[in-house]
Amino acid sequence: MKKTLVLTVNGERHELQVSADATLLRVLRDELGLYGTKRGCDTSACGCCTVHVDGNSVYACAVYALSVDGSAVTTIEGLGNGDRLDPLQDAFIRAGAVQCGYCTCGMIMSARELLAGTPKPDEEQIRHAIAGNLCRCTGYTKIVDAIKMAAGS
Amino acid sequence: MGGADLIGKSVTRPDALDKVTGGRGYPVNVNLPGMLHGKLLRSPYAHARVRRIDTSEAQRLPGVKAILTARDVPQIPFCPVYFVPSDGETLIRDMLILGDHVRFAGQPVAAVAAISEAIAEAALALIDVDYEELPAVFDPEQAMADGAPQLHDGVARNIAKNPSFEFGDVEAGFAEADHIFEGVYQTQRVHTCYMEPRVCVIDCDRDGHFTVHSSMQHIFGLREKLAYALGIDESRVTVMKPPYIGGGFGGKLDMGYIEPLAALLSQKTRRPVRIEQTRYEDFICTTRNPIKMWLKTGVKADGTITARQAKSILDSGAHATHGAQVIMVHGLFGMTFPYRCPNKKWEGFTVYTNNIIGGGYRGYGAPQGCFAVESQIDEICEKLGLDPIEFRIRNALRKGDPHPFNPAWTLNSYGYEEALRRGAERIGWATRKPAGSSSGVRKRGIGVGTQGIWVSGCMGFPDIYEHTGAIVKLNRDGTADVATGTVDIGSGAITALSQIAAAELGIGVDKVRLVSASTDTVPFDAPTHASRVTYSSGLAIKAAAAEAKKRVFEIAAGLLEANPDDLEMIDAQVRVKGSPQSSLALTEVIRVAETPFIKDTLAGPRPSSPPQYKGTIMGSSSLAPPENPSPAAAMFAEVEVDTETGQVKVLRCVYAHDLGRLINPNGAEGQVEGGIQQGLGYALMENLVFDQDNGACLSADFLDYKMPTAVEMPRVIESIFVETNEPSGPFGAKSLSEQCVTVPAAAIAAAVYNAIGVRITELPITPERVLRALGKL
Amino acid sequence: MALPELKEFCRPQSAAELSSVFETYADGALFVAGGTFVHGLEARGLLSGVQALVDLRRMGLDTVSADDRGWRVGATVNFTRLGKMPGIDAPAFGALRDALACPPPQIRNMATIGGSIAASVPFFDVPAALLALDAVVITGTGVASRELPLAGVYTGLFTNSLAPGEYISSVFVPRPAARTASAYLKLETNANDLALIGVAVRVTMDASRRISDPRVVLGGGLNATHIRSAAAEAVLKGATASEELFQRAAEAIGTEIKPMSDHRCSAEYRAAMGKVYVRRALQRAIDRLV
Ligand SMILES: Cc1cc2nc3c(=O)[nH]c(=O)nc-3n(C[C@H](O)[C@H](O)[C@H](O)COP(=O)(O)OP(=O)(O)OC[C@H]3O[C@@H](n4cnc5c(N)ncnc54)[C@H](O)[C@@H]3O)c2cc1C
Ligand code: FES
Ligand code: FES
Repeated sequence: MKKTLVLTVNGERHELQVSADATLLRVLRDELGLYGTKRGCDTSACGCCTVHVDGNSVYACAVYALSVDGSAVTTIEGLGNGDRLDPLQDAFIRAGAVQCGYCTCGMIMSARELLAGTPKPDEEQIRHAIAGNLCRCTGYTKIVDAIKMAAGS
Repeated sequence: MGGADLIGKSVTRPDALDKVTGGRGYPVNVNLPGMLHGKLLRSPYAHARVRRIDTSEAQRLPGVKAILTARDVPQIPFCPVYFVPSDGETLIRDMLILGDHVRFAGQPVAAVAAISEAIAEAALALIDVDYEELPAVFDPEQAMADGAPQLHDGVARNIAKNPSFEFGDVEAGFAEADHIFEGVYQTQRVHTCYMEPRVCVIDCDRDGHFTVHSSMQHIFGLREKLAYALGIDESRVTVMKPPYIGGGFGGKLDMGYIEPLAALLSQKTRRPVRIEQTRYEDFICTTRNPIKMWLKTGVKADGTITARQAKSILDSGAHATHGAQVIMVHGLFGMTFPYRCPNKKWEGFTVYTNNIIGGGYRGYGAPQGCFAVESQIDEICEKLGLDPIEFRIRNALRKGDPHPFNPAWTLNSYGYEEALRRGAERIGWATRKPAGSSSGVRKRGIGVGTQGIWVSGCMGFPDIYEHTGAIVKLNRDGTADVATGTVDIGSGAITALSQIAAAELGIGVDKVRLVSASTDTVPFDAPTHASRVTYSSGLAIKAAAAEAKKRVFEIAAGLLEANPDDLEMIDAQVRVKGSPQSSLALTEVIRVAETPFIKDTLAGPRPSSPPQYKGTIMGSSSLAPPENPSPAAAMFAEVEVDTETGQVKVLRCVYAHDLGRLINPNGAEGQVEGGIQQGLGYALMENLVFDQDNGACLSADFLDYKMPTAVEMPRVIESIFVETNEPSGPFGAKSLSEQCVTVPAAAIAAAVYNAIGVRITELPITPERVLRALGKL
Repeated sequence: MALPELKEFCRPQSAAELSSVFETYADGALFVAGGTFVHGLEARGLLSGVQALVDLRRMGLDTVSADDRGWRVGATVNFTRLGKMPGIDAPAFGALRDALACPPPQIRNMATIGGSIAASVPFFDVPAALLALDAVVITGTGVASRELPLAGVYTGLFTNSLAPGEYISSVFVPRPAARTASAYLKLETNANDLALIGVAVRVTMDASRRISDPRVVLGGGLNATHIRSAAAEAVLKGATASEELFQRAAEAIGTEIKPMSDHRCSAEYRAAMGKVYVRRALQRAIDRLV
């Protein structure tokens, strides 16, 4: 029943045995203990589970792990450099973009993809880039501010 | 910085770094060795009787460790609401952990614990339930009619509660009026949509003691309700306070089915049991109750309100839960208190239906009332040609008036008028055009909605807990540990509380740590709800910090040879007031207190300082706040309505709020912006809809339940904080959180009216409703 | 989980391998491309009989090529890549650009052109745009291959004319005529919604604003499947572009639609919006030509 899955997660290679229907989210949380990737809905509609697969943001809850066998996955734990935060992480703190924080990691992963392709996004680009990430606490204002701050610095 | 100048400064959340790098502290992450996973089997029928349940096949599935049905659980009727004592008179105890009478689609009938979620889920499919379907009723007015299916024994016409109030003489008031306005307003069922699912991990040890990890907003409430439903002593339950939880907004203010079931499954298996709700399961619990309101108001030609009469029918769903409390708060704060008017009468009905249960969503009955009352005021002003700002100010309460809730209290600080005027100026109220007068397909409008009277906690409510406590302990390194039962639900409570502790102690906010706690280690604390944390918990923390400071002064006075009353603490230095050269570092005082007091000297061992200086410096408190001062809020919205499609876009919001004293500006703005997201969703799109034949929820995921994303939110949200300095509050503070959710719907509805000249009296204001109102459908 | 019968996750690399899976599992096998829709079905408990998931992403179906007849897009090309297809900036592809911009990035990065067609959901945006562009679907099985116009794929809500084991291998988008523009417009509640109404149009217009070869595609619950409105197209064909003409074209859809009523909106509202959106989409397309 179980199949071999090879993933490079945050630069580290893992070889795991997973069931056929395992999602990437389950593998990251339950097998690898990477709790930064959150489950908010498990039905690909909240964005809490956003991670990068080969540099592109995806809903980890809607990806069968085996279908991305061999890929490179980046989670929130893989951002920044050692003790140095990613500029987005730093900006989220400084802008007050974190309240309950449950959406935060997914939000930052979406923003990271945006800034990788569009280093100086305008407000509309930012808002559309995080349209797949729900936040119930902040009204998004300070999240948008934080992304602008990270892009500006 | 350290001391009172910390108040009013934006400080970084202590937990932000942790949260942006992964956030390990959420209850969903709790993982205990040997943990089993629980799942609930839920009824597909809205009204049924369970004739028989056969679990034998499921029992045989490898990996299944325990199965519970109604037979296996205590049959103690309980009410899950946290902030009322379990045996409180106002509570309606009508729920069972598992029973044989199903009253809503999705009610659990059995629970399974297994070694994995997958196995537990597979086991559910093997449980065979024989249901006898019963006729169901989904409309509260139908439920009140003769011949409707009866949901609970002995509850005539399904009316769970029927409160009423009367002040003055409404008939005389209407007789005095020049104009009488009547309207009917309907609100919908919405969900708080916290992002972290409800989850618990419960471990029952060999002695039968339960240790509980849970995502709930109130550790003491959970201890009490769990013990009550299980029929055990409270001392057998320890609820751990999570470092933080992923949102609550009132949606985690009552025990769910999962906690007692996890506890019993753990008791049976002697292993920790974890149950995490799916998003579907979250959607079918703890919703904001729909309320239908009939409202009649009499006014004089000059705009003075002479009488108001109202009736509200609250759809409580299958059980009363919060419905019995919400109706009261709704009746008082939503329908009755705002505006001075001597003659008022209100009657409320909390009605059982076969819909899903309600909950304690932010605003707690006020958003529904605010929508009705403020919409009608807008209509009155329109018809009488009065300015909505001046009309409100004319009828508003004023500083110095008795508090409508408790005439023994006075509105000592009250900034309603200032909030309204400053907001009006900022939005450009003077440039507002007559309703429906803008040309073109896309029409713009401006509207206002206000809430004059609200709470800073629950002081004064019958049956509702409000006392709260804290322990402040100073460490040798000059830091302070603050322990409270207050759960940080994301609102920044811990930030404001740290600021209050630091300000009182006279140390930097970075020196304060809100430490871990459990029901075993801290004084009772009322829940994180009802806009109460800054005011109420703030007072308790301030008192505990003051006690610790008093002890610091006692010791320092001896060391400095001064009078304790002459000392002050600034920037972690104890100083003699007026002579700053005579000072001592706080760390030195703590050192004296903490170090062993015998010192080796040339003359042999000698005491270094007197024994009465020794001992950890700490303070504790457990107190109820003296009052319940009222904040006040006014929101202005500018909208654009597409008159061909009916779509409403909110372009700009100005939100003005009297919060007494601003503790943390950035945090306060965040509350407002987030509140407006919820309020905007309530106004325009959010709606839990149900199949009218079988009661199944049709919008139980985020693809169908629509809430605003970053794209639908206005590009401009401006917060104005009015500081009136409440004498009873910590550093003058009152409250903020809930009104930002309460007022937006009324403001947006009024703006829509101003744009198109047609009034929508039913939420949400969907494009289809707008188009119908415009006569285009 | 919601795939209680699942036994296999297959990753065939050739048509032969793929057909052997179908020989084993027959109706129990289900294709997965990006998986975004399959997960939705799984979460709703609609895949209880599935025994094998057949991942198409290793079949080498992820290339885009162009010749003078048009573009051939491999079935597993995702929306993000499709949006970067050479030539997509042309006004003629406006509808495709509009539609591809609808889903959130997390979906665009996974959802494939083949999956979006095969799902047979009238609320999806990309198929509407592809219909307006006269896309042709090329399918394969282990043994044979066939071509069919996209319009011929759909047979009903969630159903299509693909045989069990028959998969979409690529989609051919013919090169549009000169002076052609297209547009797609969607009515949604929030930015992460399926279409309440989705309308794709295409027009070719000469210097005197005469329209030839128009396409009007209606989706989002105006019917059980995406449909082309022959009546609206007839109104437009050979006529001179004007607001009044677009209004008449919009009115013409009335006889062809069978709008749904559901918890999101009523049939009546959908019918009314279909008209508004046809008119607005036409205007949007024309604006791309001037
Ligand atoms: C949150 C969310 C938001 C969305 N927003 C939008 C939106 O705004 N606009 C929009 O248009 N769509 C939207 N979608 C839908 C999305 O476009 C589709 O889910 C996607 O296109 C399906 O493609 P896929 O590759 O993921 O297909 P899969 O999920 O892998 O498969 C879909 C179906 O097609 C079958 N299949 C897949 N590939 C093939 C093939 N090559 N041959 C034969 N059968 C095949 C599968 O068996 C399955 O039945 C959204 C979806 C989600 C979850
Ligand atoms: S958990 Fe994946 S999108 Fe919500
Ligand atoms: S910060 Fe709580 S959901 Fe975004």
